[in-house]
Parts: sequence; structure tokens; C-alpha cells
Amino acid sequence: MALENQEKRPVAEKGEHIIARHLIEDDRIEEEKNLVIDGVDVSGRWNTFILSRVDSDFDRSFFREIKDTVVGSRINRCWQCGMCTASCTVTPLYRRFNPRAFIYMMQLGNLKELKKYVDVAWRCVGCYKCSQRCPKQVNPAEMMEALALLIKKYFPEEVESKLKVDENVKKIYEDMILGHGRLDLAKLHISSMQKMGRTKELIGKIEIDAIFKMVKDGRAFSVLRLSRPHNWRKSKEAMENYLKNIKTIEQTTI
Amino acid sequence: MAENILVIGGGPAGLNAATMLSELGVKVTLAERDSFLGGNPKKFKYKFLFPDMQPADDVIGKLIKKAETNSNIKVYLSSEVSDFKENGKKFDATIKSPDGNETKTFDSVIVATGFEHFDPARDAKYSYQLFDDVIDIKDLERMMGEGNFVRPSNGQPPKNVAFILCVGSRDRHVGNQYCSRVCCTVSVKQAIELREHFPDCEVYIFYMDIRTYGFFEDLYWKAMEEYDVQIVKGRVAEITSGENNTVICKGEDTLLRGPFEIPFDMVVLASGMEGGPQSSEMAKKLGLELDEHGFLKPQNVTLAPFKSNKEGVFLAGACTGPKAISDSITEGGAAAMDAYIYAVKNH
Repeated sequence: MALENQEKRPVAEKGEHIIARHLIEDDRIEEEKNLVIDGVDVSGRWNTFILSRVDSDFDRSFFREIKDTVVGSRINRCWQCGMCTASCTVTPLYRRFNPRAFIYMMQLGNLKELKKYVDVAWRCVGCYKCSQRCPKQVNPAEMMEALALLIKKYFPEEVESKLKVDENVKKIYEDMILGHGRLDLAKLHISSMQKMGRTKELIGKIEIDAIFKMVKDGRAFSVLRLSRPHNWRKSKEAMENYLKNIKTIEQTTI
Repeated sequence: MAENILVIGGGPAGLNAATMLSELGVKVTLAERDSFLGGNPKKFKYKFLFPDMQPADDVIGKLIKKAETNSNIKVYLSSEVSDFKENGKKFDATIKSPDGNETKTFDSVIVATGFEHFDPARDAKYSYQLFDDVIDIKDLERMMGEGNFVRPSNGQPPKNVAFILCVGSRDRHVGNQYCSRVCCTVSVKQAIELREHFPDCEVYIFYMDIRTYGFFEDLYWKAMEEYDVQIVKGRVAEITSGENNTVICKGEDTLLRGPFEIPFDMVVLASGMEGGPQSSEMAKKLGLELDEHGFLKPQNVTLAPFKSNKEGVFLAGACTGPKAISDSITEGGAAAMDAYIYAVKNH
């Protein structure tokens, strides 16, 4: 989402006088609308500053913080061979999701760089291929978990703005989980196709054939009549209690 | 009458060759240019040897003691081979020592003249000798040997230290294309020692490749996994002075494609090995071949690595290329065998 916004953005007002503006990231430009220095008015383009890209510090406190967590305790082992990214399920879909690079940024405490990936750093699907293949047993899959927790801690604003929950999907999920104790894949599929405006594809030839087949062998009815797990009422109560507790904790901390 | 063999160079390779030959009953003449035996490890006061941190004095000390106490070995210190002539299948050599010149006939000769540490001052980008806090691995080794780990500039313990690998190695700019083999391992060894001595000191290693070959890899893993030594990929192109008496390493982090300029309390350059002036001098005097790297060239690197291009003259240790001390000791023994066979055949 954030990437799309960046691509569509017209040359921002910020730093618009810089000739090769497209080469410079927004957050590297410092500009004041109205600025007076020593009685001289330097408003507008006269006070445009471009911050250096040069890193001038390795911050090991971040490294130590990660190392103290259970999931991130092996961060010191990583030697950046890239086996994790090479075996990653997500990287081919989101090139910006790169476990190797994330681990490196964590090692050197490069928060400036990490901040750029708030939107994708959560994409790990937990397939654990990386952890199985890692030659140094770093356990990158769980390192991604450590990363997600720290991103939430260090960049709460970015997380808030860049990771907006789709209320529709959230509602479908909550209804299904709380109402039935399991996901209704058919319902999710239909809702996502509707969202993309591809409802017509739902009744293509393949789908119609499949529906006939499923009606014939009876599977269609079990899909429509989504059953509930055993003893569901107790589980449901526990889940609702948990959600309520979380809400009160969030409210009191805020 | 026993065979006479000349060993030139009293470092690990020469000492081991001399000792082994003497135990075969050979009369050995050992010529050493310095006023002491032991070669570079002794000269630069190496403290501990990788991979198992044996005290260097124990290892080299044992070799020296064996050579000094053996009646078959005649040691000439502060001396050099001033004249060298072939005499049929034998060799006439004049050894110039403080006691005067002495000419003898030898059945065979072992050249074990070793290497020289690359002088980082030759590569101006590292500002060696310009800033007190930029030192190299041999300086640090000596400082450790003297129990003096502190920053040269102010005598304080360093808060962060950077090691820079491949100084004077793998660099056409300074004329050395080869890998010096041991500097990576020495650097991770010293990084561990630094972390042991100053647990609060952060240690970084700037590398292009880390070549801790074979089982030396254990030391590299240990440095990372037990001592939290951080490796950063990228070569440093410039060292300048920074605020608060620091030195700034300017380079590129090639993994993140980001330029960096990081201030450090101390920078340690992993300077490599060179054939040194003695290699070309030996080549000239003894009629040996030099290779394109400035080391003495073996007749066949695979089949006859201890033989020179000249029949009866054998090579051992770091004079044929960068080597670890253990390799030099091994080669001393192997060259001794070759030299002995030649001597017995032509005696």
C-alpha cells in the first residue's frame, strides 16, 4: 500500500526546487515554509536542506535488545549468506521482504533503514523453510517475529498509519471465528473477489462445473452449513473474555 | 664423514629443518640474519597462536631450544650468505658473521628466509603512522604480548575497535593480488582476545571475504557466536580523524548499499605477508626463480613444492608464499627430507 502511494505521488511540494528530486527520499529533505535566521528571511526554497545518506553510527543497543528475546537470541550468529532469503516463500512475491537484510539491519541497529520496511516486515508466513536451511541455525523465521515486535515498539505511528486493517475483512474474520470457530473460505473468497470487482469470475465455466459436482456429491451442503467445533460455547466464551481483556489493557496503557 | 647441509633462516621452518637433519646425524649450519633465533614470531613478539591459543613462546621456544642444544647444529647469528658457488653437485658458501667469514662446502641447501609483514604505510588510504590509533595486527600482537592493550594515543581502554581485512592483500593498487591466508584468522583471534580483555568494547570486522580456511573456521564462528564480534561487509577506503580523538572509517556497506563514516577508538589493519627484499636477494645470490608475487618459486607447486628450480637447493616455509606457522614447521620437515636424500645420494 505504501509503495503504491509512493509511486503515484506527483513530485511533492516538499523540495520541488531540487532538480533531480526523484533521487531523494522524502524524509531526507528538510524544509521550512517560513524561516528567519538572524533577522534574514529564508522562507521557501532558500532553506531546503538534503540530509546526508551516510551512516555515522552502529547502534548495538538494538542488537542487545533482540538478543535478549527468546526468538532473537541467535542474532549474533548470522553471517549474511542469504540462505534465508533464497528459500523464502514471501520474497518472490514481495521483493522488499528480505529476511537477510532485516537481520543485518537489526545487527547494526540501523533503525533508519528498518523504518522503510514497516509495511512489509510483517509478511513472514511462518513456513520455517529458512530456519530449516540456515547453515548457522539462526532461526530467521522467529527472528522475523522478533523484528515485528520491535517494529511495533519503535515505530508505533508508522505501524498505525501503514498497517490499516481492512475493516470488512476484519469483520468477516471475527464473525467467522467467533460465530463458527473456523474460517469460511468460500465466504472469504467471495468477499475478496467482490472487493476487486471481479464478481463475474465467480460464475465462470469452471466454477459452475464445480458447483454442479459439489451439489451432486453432497459437499456443497456441508460448505453452506458450516459446522462448529465440539463444545464450542465454552471456547467462544474464553475467546470473548480474552478479547475483552486485551481491549481494557490497551485502553489503560493509552 | 657426515653430510653437511646449510639452512638459511632461523624461523619456524628453518629451525625445524635444522633440528630434524641434526637428528639424522647431519652437520647443519644455520645462518640467521637477526641476532636471535625464532624469525618473525620472535621478532614481533607474537603472544598466542591460533587456532588453540598456545603461547607462541612455548612453540617457538621449544624449536629454538632444540636447535641451540644440539651439537650437530652450528648457529651463525647476525650473519648472511655473502658468496655462493656451485661446486659440481655440491655448493661452496661463504657465511659472513661478526666473527669473520667462513667458507664451507655443503651437500645441499635449504632456503627458509620467510616473509615480511606488509607495511600499511605504503597504502596511504589507511593513514597508518599518521594517527596513533591506527595500528596493524603485528602491532596489536606485540601490544598484547607486552600486556598493553590500550589505545596508543591516550592509554585508555578502547570503547570500539574496527578490524580491516585485506590490507596489502588482494589489491592491485598496492601490487599484491594474492590472499595472505592467515590475516583473517589472526584478526578473529585478536578480536576474541580484545573482547575477553574488554567485555564492554565493541568489535567490528570490515571484510570482503572471511577466509578462515579449514578448522580455523571454528575460531571465526566462536568470535561471532560467543563474543558477539560484528562483521560488516565492505572495504574501508579512507581513514580520517574525527571528534573526541577518534578515527573515522569511510566505506560502503555493500549489503545495504549504504555509505558509512563511523568513528572508532582504534583501528587494526590486517596487513598481509610479502616475500620481502630477502626473497629477491636469495633469488639473485643462489640463482633461484622468483614468482610474479615476489616469493621464491617452487619447481612444481603440487608435485615438488619444496624443490627450487636449482637441483640441491630446497625451499621451506613462507619464502614460497604466505603460510601459517604450523605449515612452515611442516614444510621445514619435508624440505629436510628432500635435502637429506639429495645429500646422501651425492655425498
